[in-house]
Amino acid sequence: MKPAAYDLTLATSLPDAVAALGAHEGAKAVSGGCSLGPMLNLRLARPSLLVDLRRVEALRALKRSDTHLEIGAGWTHGEIEDGVVPDVTAGLMARVAHGIAYRAVRNRGTIGGSLAHADPAADWVSTMAVLDARLVITGAGGTRLSRLGDFMIAAYTTSLADDEILSAVQVPVLSATARAGYHKVCRKTGEFAQAIGAVVLDREAGLARVVCGAIEAPPVVLEATSAALLKGEPVERVADEEVEAALAGHPASFRAMHRAAVARALNEVGA
Amino acid sequence: MNAITLTVNGRRVSAQVEPRTQLADFLREELNLTGTHLGCEQGVCGACTVLIDGKPQRSCIASAAACDGADIRTIEGFDGDVVMGELREAFSANHALQCGFCTPGMLMSSRDIVTRLGACSERTIREELSGNLCRCTGYVGIVNAVHSVACGKTARGGAVAVAPVEAVAEVAPAPSASASPSLALARSVAEGAAAPAGKEGWTALSQRVHIPAPPAQVWPALKDMNLLARCLPGAEVTAFDGKALQGRMVVKFGPIKAAFGGDATVDFDDAAQTGTVSGAGRDSGSGSQVKGEIAFALAPEGEGSALDVTLRYRIAGPLAQFSRGALVQNLVGHLAGVFAGNLSAQLSGAPMAEAPASLSVWQMLKAMLKGWFAGRKS
Repeated sequence: MKPAAYDLTLATSLPDAVAALGAHEGAKAVSGGCSLGPMLNLRLARPSLLVDLRRVEALRALKRSDTHLEIGAGWTHGEIEDGVVPDVTAGLMARVAHGIAYRAVRNRGTIGGSLAHADPAADWVSTMAVLDARLVITGAGGTRLSRLGDFMIAAYTTSLADDEILSAVQVPVLSATARAGYHKVCRKTGEFAQAIGAVVLDREAGLARVVCGAIEAPPVVLEATSAALLKGEPVERVADEEVEAALAGHPASFRAMHRAAVARALNEVGA
Repeated sequence: MNAITLTVNGRRVSAQVEPRTQLADFLREELNLTGTHLGCEQGVCGACTVLIDGKPQRSCIASAAACDGADIRTIEGFDGDVVMGELREAFSANHALQCGFCTPGMLMSSRDIVTRLGACSERTIREELSGNLCRCTGYVGIVNAVHSVACGKTARGGAVAVAPVEAVAEVAPAPSASASPSLALARSVAEGAAAPAGKEGWTALSQRVHIPAPPAQVWPALKDMNLLARCLPGAEVTAFDGKALQGRMVVKFGPIKAAFGGDATVDFDDAAQTGTVSGAGRDSGSGSQVKGEIAFALAPEGEGSALDVTLRYRIAGPLAQFSRGALVQNLVGHLAGVFAGNLSAQLSGAPMAEAPASLSVWQMLKAMLKGWFAGRKS
């Protein structure tokens, strides 16, 4: 069980990496390789060239403004878990990072790699949706920003062009009184989630968002539930109804797991 | 071949490696450090865990060439290590191994738990060890061993936060996710009903699309295979004689790319305005096979038509090993939605950009949206 042969370029700058991706048919960017590695070993993925991004300093930048923290795509889950990357999200990101796979994976896998891979069950996908983060995408023509909902089109399918790299995420700085809830259903610690519920409530900033994730498709923002949460109205029934509507056509057990994940995440913020 | 220099257990090693050589294979095959074990080779079992630059990582999914310059420490490199010595003693005393296959990885993770977290609860140890599988002990002995060594230890100093550069992050308003009618089409519903006879193991997707043109106008277009292929991203018809069809279909699914070539038989029932396309194809890269059947039925709906499309497919061979079938279903549903949207745009006379077979789904979607809105305005 070994990968099909490929070439490897160790990029040292974003322009180098973008140029290498654009110049080769079948090239693929890789950072930690914790999702791509298994696919290579199983020969499900057969890239002609891998462009390794681990040496690109720009992907390790941290920039702070009054409203946002921009986290370079090359920070690992472990560094976010440990607080090496400062938290501005009421503890949500550190907690989510702690729950990703296993420590040996968290020490190598990166937030940008996970998002670019766009697995619906991946934690950062739901987390960026609930935070209404902006994904920073760098290509030959410069930089563009995208919401998760616009970036992720379907399972494993994103708006990234062949020569574009997800270079950073901009997450909002939440108020000191903000609260976050996150619940995922897994049969075993570290496994891919079977259901995710994520909630952010920041009354000072007038922000409330509730997300239902790991739905085998991009996560959905539960708009009516979010509105009810912000107004301080009861959310239990509206959340149940919204999850049911969003997952119509899925088996009853699938819908029940997602209702429970969302209800428990809501419970964590006292709703 | 790539030239690499690593430090392995304190010794500098230079070598030429193929990029596809994983670190675990390099350690075992080239350096004879066979204490690093290979179990699942997909990052799940933890037997291959080694320290890369001081942190436990999976060596089975880390390319050796990408580790150029790194400091590697394998299970053979802990002879004088105090904590590892205590763990070895404790594993022995607690009967924490039987066959020993998982033990190198277990020790590597256990040392990380003890040094990083210090004294911790059994629950924490179990959680932290969840990335290392053992198939004989039942874990009780392992957890007890780690617990006994961790007791009384203090956690290594907390991680120091990196201070962000104060800069005005350029937060431009991203385009909002407008709920367009075309995107809504992409949402498909998997058939929950039992598969028809002879179709066990097949996945079925159904989709209904409204076309703002009467059936009399739509039906002839449906028989135009080249038009249909243009509506499906990645599809191309290479030959068609009215019944037998030859074609290609390139599907990109994240890092997985498959180019299926194959044959299909097309049947139309002009009276009932229904039809089927059934065929089979093979991806020459992976050797995987796909069988598929598209059944469609046209009926009047209001001023226009309703087209019901049911797609059934089955994948065999290496690509079928991909164990997350529901995700493939989401992609197929998405493609079916793009197809339906394109077809609707084509049949309502909206212009659609000529699409080469390699066009990405996203570019296709943009072209389709353009077509939709152009169609709506006119």
